[in-house]
Amino acid sequence: MTEPQVVISFKYMIEVARLSKAYGKRLAVAGLSFQVAPGEVYALLGPNGAGKTTTLRMLSTLVRPTGGSAKVAGFDVVREPLEVRRRLGLVNGGMRVYDRLTGREVLAFFAGFYGLEGKSFREALSWVTALLQMEETLDRKVMEMSTGMRQKVVIARAILHRPPVLLLDEATAGLDVFARRALLDFVKAYRDLGHALVYSTHVMSEAEEVADRVGFLHGGRLVYEGSKEEALALGGGSLERAFVQVVKEAA
Amino acid sequence: MKGIYRVFWKELVQVFRDRKLVLSTLVLPVFLMPVFMFGPSLVLDRLLQGAQEKRQEVAVFGLPEEALAALRAANLVPKPHPDPERAVRAGEYPVGVRFAGGIYRVYGRLSGGLTEGQVAAGKVQSALQSLKEAKVAGALASRGIPYEILTPFQVEVVDASPEREKAGGVLGFLLPFFLVVFVLSGGQVVAVDATAGEKEKGTLEALLMAPVPLLHLALGKTLATVAMALLSGVSGLLGLALGGALAARFGGGLLTESGQTLELGGRIALDGGSFLALFLSAFLLALFMGAVMVSLGLYARSFKEAQSYMAPLQLLALLPLLFLQFRGFFELEAWHHLVPLFNVALLMDALLKGSATPLQAGFTWGSTLVYAGLALLYAVRVFAREEAVFRN
Repeated sequence: MTEPQVVISFKYMIEVARLSKAYGKRLAVAGLSFQVAPGEVYALLGPNGAGKTTTLRMLSTLVRPTGGSAKVAGFDVVREPLEVRRRLGLVNGGMRVYDRLTGREVLAFFAGFYGLEGKSFREALSWVTALLQMEETLDRKVMEMSTGMRQKVVIARAILHRPPVLLLDEATAGLDVFARRALLDFVKAYRDLGHALVYSTHVMSEAEEVADRVGFLHGGRLVYEGSKEEALALGGGSLERAFVQVVKEAA
Repeated sequence: MKGIYRVFWKELVQVFRDRKLVLSTLVLPVFLMPVFMFGPSLVLDRLLQGAQEKRQEVAVFGLPEEALAALRAANLVPKPHPDPERAVRAGEYPVGVRFAGGIYRVYGRLSGGLTEGQVAAGKVQSALQSLKEAKVAGALASRGIPYEILTPFQVEVVDASPEREKAGGVLGFLLPFFLVVFVLSGGQVVAVDATAGEKEKGTLEALLMAPVPLLHLALGKTLATVAMALLSGVSGLLGLALGGALAARFGGGLLTESGQTLELGGRIALDGGSFLALFLSAFLLALFMGAVMVSLGLYARSFKEAQSYMAPLQLLALLPLLFLQFRGFFELEAWHHLVPLFNVALLMDALLKGSATPLQAGFTWGSTLVYAGLALLYAVRVFAREEAVFRN
């Protein structure tokens, strides 16, 4: 795999401190704090409705926090949203791209927002195509692609500008076994390039495979944080058991 | 600025790659407009002519020989019947006449639109009127009185409007009306697809992640809406012009309410300045409505919901235009040129008639630009509202 240079300027690429989000009286996320270092996959685990998506949306500047703070690559998500977006990629399970454009057109469209045009776009395209093995998608319309191919275009869109931070939210939802395997391999490969990733899922087995550290989210609160090994030890070799045990203790 | 163009390009490519959509929005109106505009009047023309030439049977009762002769002379066939009214009601005859007590009663089924019965009743009425006039003339002549005494003078009304105003009289209403219809129907295709459509398809979140100000996104989408709206407007106007040309070629025309026939083919004469002014008015109108549609579309949860918002918007937009028909009944004041949509319609009317003033144009364009700007700002605010963006 060809490797772009990653300049690491921060100890943590993501710094979240007492981050909260309230919808009316309901707290979707309550006082969340965690950090993610470069070259690390942080798995944010929890059932549906735990606050994972809201947290990632706050980190990606799509949703405004009602309390606390969050920084991505040193930029504040509220005060400097455009700077954050330049250094961030987001992939979620429900995310799609324009079905009447070809893969190449989709990527060219998004690349332009990051100043990738002409030669720099071709270089980025070449890099991402090799990384995701997606040559066959480039000249095909999205509507004519398989689910796995479409997901590759979605991921390529998110990383074309080589963001130092990548957020994945239930990114394997709806994928078949091959596409899921390709995605998990990609997560590890992208981490190995020195990037920071947050991998949000309710599928504990995926976290067991890709995570370096894990955070258990329940009812909008971070009820546990530790290395994957620590969490596995807590659950007797299973993150799922560890999660259930922690949640019961917290209750 | 590149971000705006990028979004604009993407929206239009998405739309233009949908062949069915292009066909229904841009191609069909060119061919359907002539059919809708002139088809009915041409068909009606032929039907009326046919009914006039046809020899209709008339149920008659108690008519003197001179009246029967008058009916025969008017290309009608009198048929004796004991109850002409019942015969007509039963559909046995298109028209009937009873004479009793010095009164001719003509029966026809006159409700429910223009029918052959109405034409036949008109022919009967006309024949009896001629008979009456002939009898009056005969009576006067027997007394040595000239018939002209009944008409000591003639009254003639002459339309003294300039040619451009005559053509503009109907077009001044029709043009803004159809322009608004096409601007809205064409614009909504992009507006809905670019907002609620993106939400529903799951592409909006990726777009919002791009490092580009929301104003650029809103402007790109609005300008794509404007482009499609204007193309749709041009398509509709081409259809209108084609219909006018066909009507002129085949001898038909547009029937006005007063029964006059207005030939449209080649009657509109616009100088370059007026044409540019018309285009600028249409552009500003499209910009205003485009921003409104983008805001509404983004607020909607789904494609279907967005479309349900567009129908009332269309009615709301057409309402002020209906008042344009009554423009001759009130004195225009400065504030009329500030009323959204109505002002554009007034200006278009004035441009077609050649009576627009710089003050009117300035007020209309200035205020429409302000409304468009406000609508655009509102669209940006909607984009920034997470409860709207993630409402689905």
